[in-house]
Amino acid sequence: MTITANQDLVATWRDEPAPLLPVLHAFHDRDGYLSDDALRAVSEGLRIPLAELFGTVTFYHHFARTPGGRDAARVCTGNVCRLRGACELLESMQSDGATAMPCAGRCDEPIPVLRGDQVWVGATVDVLERRVSPLPVANPGGLEECVFAAIREPDRASLEGYRRTGGYEGLLRVMGEMTPEQTLKLVGDSGLAGRGGAGFPTGAKWSAVAEAEGHPKTIVCNADEGEPGCFKDRAIMDHDPHALLEGMIIAAYACGAQQGFVYLRYEYPETFERLEQAIVEARAAGFLGEDILRSGIAFDIYLRRGAGAYICGEEGSLLNSLEGKHPFPRNRPPYPVTHGYDQKPTAVNNVETLASVGPIVCNGADWYRGLGCEDHAGTKLICLSGDVQRPGNYEVPIGFPLKTLLHDWAGGALQGRTIQAVTMAGLSGGFLAGEDMDVTLDEPSVRSKGSFLGAGGIIVFDDSRNMVEVAADAMAFFAHESCGKCFPCRIGTHRIAERLRGNGGCESLADWRAEVEDMGRTMRATSACGLGMAAPLVTDSLLKYFPDQVEKHFGS
Amino acid sequence: MHDQLRDMVVAGTVTIDGDAVEFHDGETIFQVARRHGAKIPTLCYDDRLEAFGGCRMCVVELEGSRNPVASCTTRAEPGMVVRTRNEALDAHRKTLLEMVVSENREVDVDPLRGYASQELKTLVEEYDAQAGRFKGAQSGTSNTDDDNPFILRDYDLCISCYRCVRVCAEQEGDHAINIMNRGFETQITTEFNGRLKESACTFCGQCVQTCPTGALGDRKAMRAEEDKAELKKTRTICPYCGVGCSVDLLTKGDRLVGVQPAMDGPANKGALCVKGQFAFDFVQHEERLKTPLLRGEDGNLHAASWDEALDRAAGGFSKALEKHGRYSLYGVASGRAPHEAAYTMQKFVRAGTGTNYIDNCSRA
Ligand SMILES: Cc1cc2nc3c(=O)[nH]c(=O)nc-3n(C[C@H](O)[C@H](O)[C@H](O)COP(=O)(O)O)c2cc1C
Ligand code: SF4
Ligand code: SF4
Ligand code: SF4
Ligand code: FES
Repeated sequence: MTITANQDLVATWRDEPAPLLPVLHAFHDRDGYLSDDALRAVSEGLRIPLAELFGTVTFYHHFARTPGGRDAARVCTGNVCRLRGACELLESMQSDGATAMPCAGRCDEPIPVLRGDQVWVGATVDVLERRVSPLPVANPGGLEECVFAAIREPDRASLEGYRRTGGYEGLLRVMGEMTPEQTLKLVGDSGLAGRGGAGFPTGAKWSAVAEAEGHPKTIVCNADEGEPGCFKDRAIMDHDPHALLEGMIIAAYACGAQQGFVYLRYEYPETFERLEQAIVEARAAGFLGEDILRSGIAFDIYLRRGAGAYICGEEGSLLNSLEGKHPFPRNRPPYPVTHGYDQKPTAVNNVETLASVGPIVCNGADWYRGLGCEDHAGTKLICLSGDVQRPGNYEVPIGFPLKTLLHDWAGGALQGRTIQAVTMAGLSGGFLAGEDMDVTLDEPSVRSKGSFLGAGGIIVFDDSRNMVEVAADAMAFFAHESCGKCFPCRIGTHRIAERLRGNGGCESLADWRAEVEDMGRTMRATSACGLGMAAPLVTDSLLKYFPDQVEKHFGS
Repeated sequence: MHDQLRDMVVAGTVTIDGDAVEFHDGETIFQVARRHGAKIPTLCYDDRLEAFGGCRMCVVELEGSRNPVASCTTRAEPGMVVRTRNEALDAHRKTLLEMVVSENREVDVDPLRGYASQELKTLVEEYDAQAGRFKGAQSGTSNTDDDNPFILRDYDLCISCYRCVRVCAEQEGDHAINIMNRGFETQITTEFNGRLKESACTFCGQCVQTCPTGALGDRKAMRAEEDKAELKKTRTICPYCGVGCSVDLLTKGDRLVGVQPAMDGPANKGALCVKGQFAFDFVQHEERLKTPLLRGEDGNLHAASWDEALDRAAGGFSKALEKHGRYSLYGVASGRAPHEAAYTMQKFVRAGTGTNYIDNCSRA
């Protein structure tokens, strides 16, 4: 490639918002890897020092630095896929240059394999096929839903289908009949809280952005969905992309924001195309652009693709990634609501959170509150995977009994097996087992067992599984994804993973335990972000529920 | 920074270890506590750099907060109640140190490696952290084949505090080094992981001097590691240019073995350039002249006594001044000469010829 061609490619993105990721993808797609020359051109064009750019590129595991790297297959070896033979599948493809990737967010299907822009699924090489990701099944309890209420309508993913089935009614109502203040109050009154993991009340977050000084304000949709065992955001975006856009536009109206980003994980290339198309449609219909619905209000959405880094789902890291910086989490406070994208007020919200907003506006705050069990407001999507009859996405009322979901809705354990343990919050909440599986699906209940519900990923392990191995795989994931900013997590995740794979050089089980617990305690208390704080829940819960398996592991 | 803050308006009061302490707008808990005399351990902190919050050694207990907070990145707010030391904090710090020790080849390095090279070792001793716990893989790969004469890149000892990266960007503005990979695999790198010589590095040495473990070593100073004589530091000003950077000359016996920047130097705050930092070999160079030389009738230089040499020089100057007047003489002192010699030379020109025709080669 000539130098001019490189410069031209940089020039197509240089003046766009958040240009680094798209310009790197443009080179990656064109050349099949990121060459030294490409990095030089980007460094020069975007005025990022070359060493810094090089360091940042090496942070993302999907950016290939050798020719052909982009299109080499990546096989998901996440916790769930391992149960289904992912390691064997990888081995059978290794001669063709396939490598492993962490959970790719299709845990409700056979093993996903990413090849360039395409996801294939299948348990063995010869049956790999491309297909649309599964649509959530009809609510098994016949309960009223919010997010999934209309997702199964035919053609819902297109603008036309979306509008025919009530889509954009919420936005029209907000912009036609309500002030931003009324909108904030409605969302606050509904009790909607963040569905991305932290559960922060959405109304309060938006109000803080609306009140904060500084322009332009930004709405960021966190579609990174990197938590193993989570695949709900993908279902929404694949089958109901306009619901997400509508939520973002309502958020923009309420907060007074002028621009929006969707930060989508790399592993969802087909979803990228769907969203891109939805944005084009919404723009053409006047829902986005310089003058939304002739209201004089400007708001547009830019789609940005990540490049493989779980930590980029953490909001500070995500914002740094968007800004083209090294994607370490940011120190807090200050929070994104005052110092977000470009240090300006920003609302970062999860896909599910945003997709709930349209229905809430249409049906009212009381309606949404009433969807939950007892005092709990609203619903939660649960991604169920692993050793269970019917894995998939389920929308449950908050406060719903876990056992009912597992056994009545999802068919319970596989033939002849019993459920030994489940994870919570994907992997971040560690395990629940025994009587502690009698929780209801709401934070107070799950937290009372020392775990948390988080983004709603639940992986099931039956009695055929070695829980130490499961824990080792989980900790290996955290070690692989630790960003390396802070000492406790950078070293601790790695050391604990070493101890779960072998004995870590410990001479007695008592030493082993003391080391694992000491590191866990310090990681929980001193880590700089949620990754390092949550990771030791894996070993805490392993030691709590399965001391005998630990002893056996150490003995052998 | 500190003195400026002291002059600013009081923004409120916090309680540090039971004492009410006033703080100024923008001050962090760490700054207030240190001003109050509390000793909070740090590893990723460098006063001159933006607080990073990586090592977590500086965590303190903050009333109302579930977890301890990093004092270096947390701004003081009115009414905060802070404890900088207790059993739980000490235990976390000790565990953190033991974890850090476990990823390195060694902790005890020669102080000649750099100004901050003893920081880790000192804390390990203070907190009685045990080597040998948390055994496992080593992190960081030394880059000892980076064949430059100045900087040893011994990343086996790296603890990923990124002070080097940040000082290079924030203080030196060179952005020559950065962080490659992530997690336990992080590695300090140049562009494309090449050698410093092929990077944007100007060999200012600041990364070396801020490294808290000796992972970056001052190769020139390290030549004197085997010399058993006591290491002494003498504060002076770098003669190379007009900035006037404060330096500490490192000596062993009567030998100059290295230079370290003075962190409190008013003109440089720990910064130096490649010359001030590394270019001192001429002082003890074996080819250095030990007697004056005079050019003889044969056109060659011959050793001479000082009296002979001074007479010859005085004669030459007088002749020139007589013939062409006082503006025919212009003195340029050398940046490699001691300050006393430079002073004497300007005195000689000013008092001896009555002009200001005097300059110094280091007029930067
Ligand atoms: C390690 C880590 C990973 C995260 N990953 C995601 C993610 O993939 N998607 C997401 O929405 N939130 C994720 N979060 C939570 C975000 O930081 C943030 O709280 C959330 O996006 C806010 O949106 P919400 O209030 O709508 O939940 C993650 C947090 C941590 C600590
Ligand atoms: S806890 Fe882990 S992921 Fe989070 S900042 Fe620290 S090293 Fe990075
Ligand atoms: S010597 Fe100076 S310029 Fe070179 S890497 Fe170190 S700090 Fe940067
Ligand atoms: S080389 Fe030294 S200063 Fe740089 S990150 Fe490693 S330990 Fe810190
Ligand atoms: S000094 Fe605060 S985290 Fe290192």
